[in-house]
Amino acid sequence: MSAGKTTESLLTSRWTPYVFMAPVFLYLLLFDFIPLVKEFYLSFTSTSLLTPSVNKWVGLDNYRELFSNRDFLHSLWITAVYTIACVVLAIGAGLGTALLLDAPFLGRAVARTLVTLPWAAPPVAVALIFTWIYNAQYGVFNYVQRSLGIETFENWLDTPDHALTAILIATIWQIFPFSSVVILAALQGVPKELRESAALDGAGAFDIFRAVVWPTIRPTVMLLALFITIWSLRRFDLIWLLTQGGPIGATNTLVIDLYRRAFVYRDLGAGASVGMVGLCIAFAITLVHHRLSSRYELKGR
Amino acid sequence: MPGLPLPIRLSAVLLLLAVAVFPFYWMFVTSLTPSSELFASTPRFWPTWSETGVYADAFRKIPVATWLLNSLIVAAGTTVLSIAISLFPAYSLSRFRFKGKGIMGLSLFATQMLPEAMLVVPLYALFGQFNMLNTLTALILANTAFTVPVVVWILKGAIDGVPEEIEEAAHIDGCSQVGIVWRIVLPLIAPTLAAASVIAFFHGWNEYVFAQTLVSSESLRTASVGLAGFVGELSTPIHTVMSIAVIYAVPAIVFYMFVQKYVVSGMTAGGVKG
Amino acid sequence: MLHTTRRMALAGVMALAALPCFAGSALAQGKTTISFAGVTFSEAGRGDRLREWVDKFNKSQDKIEVTTLGLPFATFANTMFTQMGGGGGPDLIRFDTIDFYAAVPAGRILPFDDHIKDSDFKFSAPNDYLKVNGKRYGVAFEISNYVMMYNPALLKDGKVPTTFDELLAVTKAATGNGNYGYAYRATMAERNGFWQDLCNYVFGFGGRWSDGKTLTLNAPKVIEGVTAYKRMYDSGAIPKGADAATYRRMFWESKVAIEIDNGGVAGIFNQQAPNLAWNAAPSPFPTRAQGLILAPLTVNANTKNKDAAFTFVKWALQPDNQKALQDILGASSVATDVPRSADDLAKKPWLKVYDEQTPNAVPQLVGGFEVRTPELQQIIIEQVLKVLQGGMDPKKAMDEAQDLAVAKMSK
Repeated sequence: MSAGKTTESLLTSRWTPYVFMAPVFLYLLLFDFIPLVKEFYLSFTSTSLLTPSVNKWVGLDNYRELFSNRDFLHSLWITAVYTIACVVLAIGAGLGTALLLDAPFLGRAVARTLVTLPWAAPPVAVALIFTWIYNAQYGVFNYVQRSLGIETFENWLDTPDHALTAILIATIWQIFPFSSVVILAALQGVPKELRESAALDGAGAFDIFRAVVWPTIRPTVMLLALFITIWSLRRFDLIWLLTQGGPIGATNTLVIDLYRRAFVYRDLGAGASVGMVGLCIAFAITLVHHRLSSRYELKGR
Repeated sequence: MPGLPLPIRLSAVLLLLAVAVFPFYWMFVTSLTPSSELFASTPRFWPTWSETGVYADAFRKIPVATWLLNSLIVAAGTTVLSIAISLFPAYSLSRFRFKGKGIMGLSLFATQMLPEAMLVVPLYALFGQFNMLNTLTALILANTAFTVPVVVWILKGAIDGVPEEIEEAAHIDGCSQVGIVWRIVLPLIAPTLAAASVIAFFHGWNEYVFAQTLVSSESLRTASVGLAGFVGELSTPIHTVMSIAVIYAVPAIVFYMFVQKYVVSGMTAGGVKG
Repeated sequence: MLHTTRRMALAGVMALAALPCFAGSALAQGKTTISFAGVTFSEAGRGDRLREWVDKFNKSQDKIEVTTLGLPFATFANTMFTQMGGGGGPDLIRFDTIDFYAAVPAGRILPFDDHIKDSDFKFSAPNDYLKVNGKRYGVAFEISNYVMMYNPALLKDGKVPTTFDELLAVTKAATGNGNYGYAYRATMAERNGFWQDLCNYVFGFGGRWSDGKTLTLNAPKVIEGVTAYKRMYDSGAIPKGADAATYRRMFWESKVAIEIDNGGVAGIFNQQAPNLAWNAAPSPFPTRAQGLILAPLTVNANTKNKDAAFTFVKWALQPDNQKALQDILGASSVATDVPRSADDLAKKPWLKVYDEQTPNAVPQLVGGFEVRTPELQQIIIEQVLKVLQGGMDPKKAMDEAQDLAVAKMSK
C-alpha cells in the first residue's frame, strides 16, 4: 500500500513530467547515446573493424585527413545536393499530390491508397526493381527514352552525369507518399468557411492557397522538411544497393562514405569521424530549424 | 487543387497512380516473363500467366514463409514497443511545462540523425554483453531506437489536440495521472496510433543493416536479408528475385491498406505539428 | 466501439510487457552444432548442391552438426568482420582471398598447424598463398582460373580470337541484332567484379600492381592493360552497365558471344544451360597470366567448438569428399589435386582449358600490400572509371593513381 502511495505521489508531484519522460530516455541512453559516446571516442583513434577493442589514440588525425581529402569534400557536396533535392522534390510532389487528393471525386479513397503505396515498398525490393528498370539494354526506362526518339544505350546508374538523378528518382518515388499523407492530414485543418468565403470574393486558386491554405499547413511542412532532411542525410540501403556511391563518387553521400571507410576499409576510426561530421551538420540544421520555427510562432501570435 | 477543371485533375490523378504503381507492376511482370523474352529489345508489358510456377517454387524451395514470419515478428514487435515507450513521454511533452523540456525534445530529435551503419558495431557489442545476439528481440530493440523519436512527436501532436477538460473531469473522479493517460487519452488518440504504427511497422519490416549483422542463423532471417541474399557472387536468378520481392512487398501493402484510412485522420488529429 | 479500441490498444501494450525472447538457438539434442558461412550457399545452381554436400558430413557424424549460412555477397565480408570483431561470427567461414589477408594479421582466424598437417594431404600449389609467416591459416575451398568463354554460334565463321586486336574485331562483328560481342564489368556497384575483370586485363598485358615492395600502378604494362580495357569499353560491343548476373544470363541465352570468366561460372552455365554448346580458350592477351580466385575455408578464432570445426575441415579434405566438391564447383578445383575423370573431360572440353591455366594464375591482390588491397582497389577503380567515362588519358589517370596510392600507403 505504502509503495503504491509513493508511486502515486511521485506521479502527481513536480517530478511527474520527468518520470513520464523516463522510459524514452533510459531507452535512448542505452541504444543511442552510449553507442554514440563510444563512436565519438573511436573518431579520435585508429581502430580496425576486426579488433574494435584495440584502439590507438591519434588525436585529430582522422578529422585532419577528412578535411584535406578532396573526395570527402566532394561527398559533402553530393550529400547537400541529394538532401536538398529530396526535400524540395518530395515536398513539392507531396504537396501537389495532397492538393489533388484533398478535393472530392469519385474513387478518391482508392486513389489515396494506391498513390501512397510506394511508402510500403521495402527499400531492398525498390533497389532491385529499379536496377532492372534502369538496365541499359532491356530496361523499360531506356525503352521509353528510345521510343521518344532519344538514342541511348547508357545505364543512368552507371554514368557520372545521371547517376545522382537516377538515385533521386528512385528515392522520391519511395518517399513522396509519406509527405503527401502528412500534408493531406494538415490540409484537413484548413477552415472550410475561410476557403469558401475567399472563393466567393473571387480570389484565384493560387491566392486562396497563399492566404488561407499555406498559413495553416506551414508548420507541418516545416517539420516535414526537417524529417526528410535528416532521413536523407542518413539514407543508406537504397543508394548502397544501387550504386555503392559510384561512378567516380557521383552518388557518394556521407553515409556511403562512412560505410565504406568503416566496413570496406575496416577503419572504424575514420568511419566514426565521418559520422561525427554528419551528426554536426544534422544538428546544425535542426538548430536553425528550431530557431526559424519558433520565430514564426512568435510572429504568428 | 480545386481551381483546376475536373478532367485535368482526374488525368493528373491517373498519371500519379501510374507512376506510383508502375514499379510494383513491373516487379510482378518481370517475375512472370519467360527467360527467353527477358532480353527482348521491346520489353514485355503483360504478365505471362503460365509462368506462375515461380511463386509456388518460392514457397516450396525457399524458406520464404519463415522469412516473412520473422519480418512480421520484428515489425509487430517494433510497433508495439515503440508505442508503449513513447506514450508517456509524448504526454509529458504535450501537457507539462518543465525545466529542460526544450533540451529533451531536441536530444530526442538528435537520435534520428544517427545512421544505422554507425551504430551497428557498438550495438553488436552491447547485445553480445546481454547474450542477445541472434535473437529477433535484439532486432526489435535496435529498430525501436530509430522509431521512438518520430512516434513521440506524432503522439504529442495528437495529445495536443485532446481537450484538457476531459482529463480534468477524470481527475475529479479520482483517476490517477497514469490512469488518465491509459484510460482517457489513449482511446482518444487511437487513429493517431494507427498513423504511428505504420511508421514503426514499415521500419521494422524493411530494416536491413541490423537484420543481417545481429542475426546469423538462417531460421531467424528476415525477408530483407533473404531477398538481398539472392544477389549472388556469380549469378542472380531474376525470376526468383522478382517473385520474392513481390511476396515481400505484399504483406506491407495489405497492412497499409488496412490502416490507411486511419492514417490521414490520425495525423490530422492534432497531427504532425511544429 | 470506443471500448473495443481501448481494450485492443491496452492488450497490445500488455503483450509487450511479456515480450518473449525469440531466441534461435535450437540446440540439437546432445549434438555440437557449428555454423559454416559462405556466399556460395545462396547461389543459384551451386548453393543447393553444396548444402547437400555438407549434409553428407552431418549424416556421417553423430556428435557434430554443421548448419550452412548463405549470405548476401555485397556485404558478406563486412558482416563477417563486424561479427568477428564483436567476438562472434560463424565457426567456419569461406572467405575471399582479400578478406583472408585482412583477418589473419588481426588474429581473427585460427592457424591450422595443430590440426591439419600439410604432410598428410597433397595440397595443390595455390594453397601456399594461404600460409602467412610459414603458418597455414586455411585450405582452399575453391580455386578458380579465368579463361575466355565463347559461344561458337555467335562468332563469324566460328573464328576464335587469339590476340587482343582479333578479340576487338571478332566481338565487333558479333554485335548487332540484339546480340553483344563481349561483356565485362565497369561499374562501382560491382566493385569486386570490376576489380577481377580489370586484373585480368592488366595481368594479361604483363602488368602487376606492385613488385612486392613498391607500387607500380603507373608502370607501362599496367597502362597498356588499362588502355585495352578502355578500347573494349568504347568498341560498341559491350552491353554497357549490365551487371554480371545479367550478362552471364545473356551468355547462356546466346545473346553474348564472348566473356572472360572464372571456373565457377562455367559450373553455373553447365547447370543452368546444359544444352548450350559453349567452349573455352586461353584469354587473348599478350601473356597467359590471368587472375586467380582462391577462396579459403577458415576457422573463426572466436569459435567455441574448435575441435568440431577441424573435424569438418578434415572430412572436407578426404579424397572422396574433395572429388564430390570439385564436381559441384564446375571448372574450379579444390584444395588437393583431384584428377578429372575421362568421362568428364570428354563431356566438358573446356575443363582442360581451365586446368591448364593454373600455372599462370595470379591472385587478385596487390603483392606486399595484401591487407590494404581494398583501399588500393578503390583508388585504382575510381581512376580507371575516369578513363572509361571521363575520357581521361590512361597514363595520366594511372600516374594520379600511383600518387594517391603512395600517399595513402605512407599513412
